[in-house]
Amino acid sequence: MRQYLANIYLGVYTALVGMRITFKQLLQPSVTHQYPYEHSFEKKKNVRDIPKGYRGKLDNRIEDCIGCRKCEIICPVDCITMTTRKLPKGERLWDSMSVVHLKDRTEIVGNIEGDEKLVPDTTITIKTRDERTVSLSSEEVDRIVERKPVIFYLDQFDIDMSLCMYCGLCTEVCPTECLTMIDNLKDGIAYSTFDRTDLIYLFAAPEMYDQQTEASDEAEAAD
Amino acid sequence: MPFSLQYLANHLSQFWVQTSENWAQRFVENHVPFLGHLPYSLGELIIMLMCCAIFVAVVPLLPLGLVLAERKVSAHIQDRVGPMRVGPHGTLQTLADGIKLLFKEDYIPKQGDKLLFILAPYIIFASSFAVFAAIPFGRSILVSDLNIGIFYIMAISSIIVMGVIMAGWASNSKWSLLGAMRSAAQLVSYEIPIGLSILTIIMLMQTLNMQEIVEKQDGLWNWLIFRSPFTFIAFFVFFISSIAEVNRTPFDLPEAESELVAGFHTEYSGMRFALFFIAEYANMFAVSAIAATLFLGGWQGILPGVDILGGLPGFVIKTLFLVFVMMWIRWTLPRLRVDQLMNLCWKYFIPISFFNILGVGIWGLIFPEDTLVSIVISLVIIVLGLIGVFAVFGKGVSKAPVPQASSAS
Repeated sequence: MRQYLANIYLGVYTALVGMRITFKQLLQPSVTHQYPYEHSFEKKKNVRDIPKGYRGKLDNRIEDCIGCRKCEIICPVDCITMTTRKLPKGERLWDSMSVVHLKDRTEIVGNIEGDEKLVPDTTITIKTRDERTVSLSSEEVDRIVERKPVIFYLDQFDIDMSLCMYCGLCTEVCPTECLTMIDNLKDGIAYSTFDRTDLIYLFAAPEMYDQQTEASDEAEAAD
Repeated sequence: MPFSLQYLANHLSQFWVQTSENWAQRFVENHVPFLGHLPYSLGELIIMLMCCAIFVAVVPLLPLGLVLAERKVSAHIQDRVGPMRVGPHGTLQTLADGIKLLFKEDYIPKQGDKLLFILAPYIIFASSFAVFAAIPFGRSILVSDLNIGIFYIMAISSIIVMGVIMAGWASNSKWSLLGAMRSAAQLVSYEIPIGLSILTIIMLMQTLNMQEIVEKQDGLWNWLIFRSPFTFIAFFVFFISSIAEVNRTPFDLPEAESELVAGFHTEYSGMRFALFFIAEYANMFAVSAIAATLFLGGWQGILPGVDILGGLPGFVIKTLFLVFVMMWIRWTLPRLRVDQLMNLCWKYFIPISFFNILGVGIWGLIFPEDTLVSIVISLVIIVLGLIGVFAVFGKGVSKAPVPQASSAS
C-alpha cells in the first residue's frame, strides 16, 4: 500500500519537475533568427559573437589582385573562375606597392615612404594610390605586406558561392592577401537570393582598366 | 397550434438571453416579421438552425486558434518561434494550411471500405461538435439547457471511438488498424474514471443539468474543486483521463508518429484529414470546457455574482488555461507504453475514483448542505493532505536522481 501511494507521489512529482523545466524554457527568449528579414544579428540575445578568423563569405579586393591564379588552382571545388590577359611586355598596371594591415582590421594600400620594414615606435607615412598621405604610428599597424606589380588585366574573376566549401585555402595562398573571408555577421553570411545564379559573385571590374586599355590600344595603333 | 410571435420570442430568449428587457422579441418584430406567419414546427426548426449556424460558424474558429497556439507554445518551449510568415507572427498560418488541405488530392484506398472511409471523419467531427450544444458558455449562452446535460456529453463524446474504429478498419492499413484498436482500448478504459469522477460531482450536486451545476458554484470557495477533498482528487483524475480521452501526449498511442505513422488517420488526406485535425482540437477544447464547468465554476467569477458579459470571458479564460496545461504537458512528457497506459487507468485511476465516490458519499452525509464550515474543513484537509503527502514521501523521492535543466542556452 505504501509503495502504491509512493508511486502516485512519484508520478505526480516527476511530472511537475518536468513541467517546471518546460515552463522555464517557455519564458526564455527564442534563439531563432528570422534570417532573410532580420539582419541585426548583433541585437539578438543568447547569440555569441562570431570569433575572429571565422570563414565567412569570400571577398576579393580586386584592385590588389595580381591575377596569379594560385587561388583558382588550389580551389578543391573549382568555384573560382578567372580570365586574365597579359599586358604588353614591360608595361604594368601599377608598380609594387605595400598593403598596410591595421589592427582595427582595415587596410591602406600605398607606397611607404622610407623603410618598408615595420619598426616599433616610429611613424609610418603612406602615400596612397589616390594621392593622399596618411601618417600612422606603428602601434596601429598589424603587418605590412608587399603587393607585387600588376602585369595582368583581370577580365573575369567569378566566385560561385554556392560551390564554395569555405576551406580557406585560397585565402592562404593569396600572395597579396586581397582574397579574404569576411568574418563579421552583417556581411559574412548574407546569402539569401531568389535565383541561384545570383550566388555567382563577379569581382572583376573591367572598367578599372579602361583607361589603360585605351592607352595601350592607342600605343598599339601607333605601332 | 399556430406559430405565434410571442412563442418565438420566448423561445429565442430562453436559448440566448434570459434578460428582463427581451431584446429578442423586439429583434423579431422589427427584422423578421415573416416568421410570424410560419407554422409552429417550422418556426422551431428555424430557431434551431439559427443556433446551429452560430455554433457552426464560431466553434470551428476555436481549432483554428488552438492549432496556432499549440504550435507557438511548443515552439517557445523549445526556444523556437514557430510559424512567422503568414500574417503577423504567423497568425494566419492555420488558415493557409486549411486552404492548402482543401486543394489536396482526396485519396481513398482502393482496397478499403469506401463507405466507412468516407463516413468516419464526419462521425468524429459531428460528435465532437455536438458536445458544444450542452456546454454553458455563459449565464444565458447555452444552446440547449438539457436536464441530462452531462450525461448527454458523456454519451455523445463516446461516439468518437466508433468513428476512430471505422477510420482504422476502412483504411485497410496495418498502421490504421493498430491505431484504431489502441484507440478503442484506450477510450473505453478511460471512459470509466471520467464517468466515476463526474459521478462524484453529480452526487454532490444532485443534478445532471450543466447550468444548475454551474449556478451552484458562485465564488472561488464554492468551486467544486474546493467543495470537498474528494472532488479535488477527482478533478485531477478527470483532467488526466480527459487528456487520454482526446488522444494527446503522453497518451497519444493511437497516433504515435514513431510507431504507427499517424495512427488511425494514416490513409486520410486533404480535407478529410483536416476534419480529423479540427475534431481533435475541438475535442481538446470541449474536455477543457467540461472540466472548467464541472470543477472550476464554469462561467461563475471568483466573487459571487461578479460575471462580466454573462461570464463568457471568465469561462473562456478558464478553459483556455486548461488547454494550455494540456499543451504544456504534451511538450513535457514522453509517450507511455501500452501496458503503462492500461496500468495507470485500471490500477490507479479507477480505484482512486471509487475511493472518491465513497468519500463523497460520506462527505454528503456529514455535510448535507454546503456551509462555510464544510468548505473551510475541506480546504484545510486539502492543504494538510498535500503537506502530509510531501512529508511522508518527499524525503525518499528527493534522493532519487531528478533530471536537471540543461545549462546550455
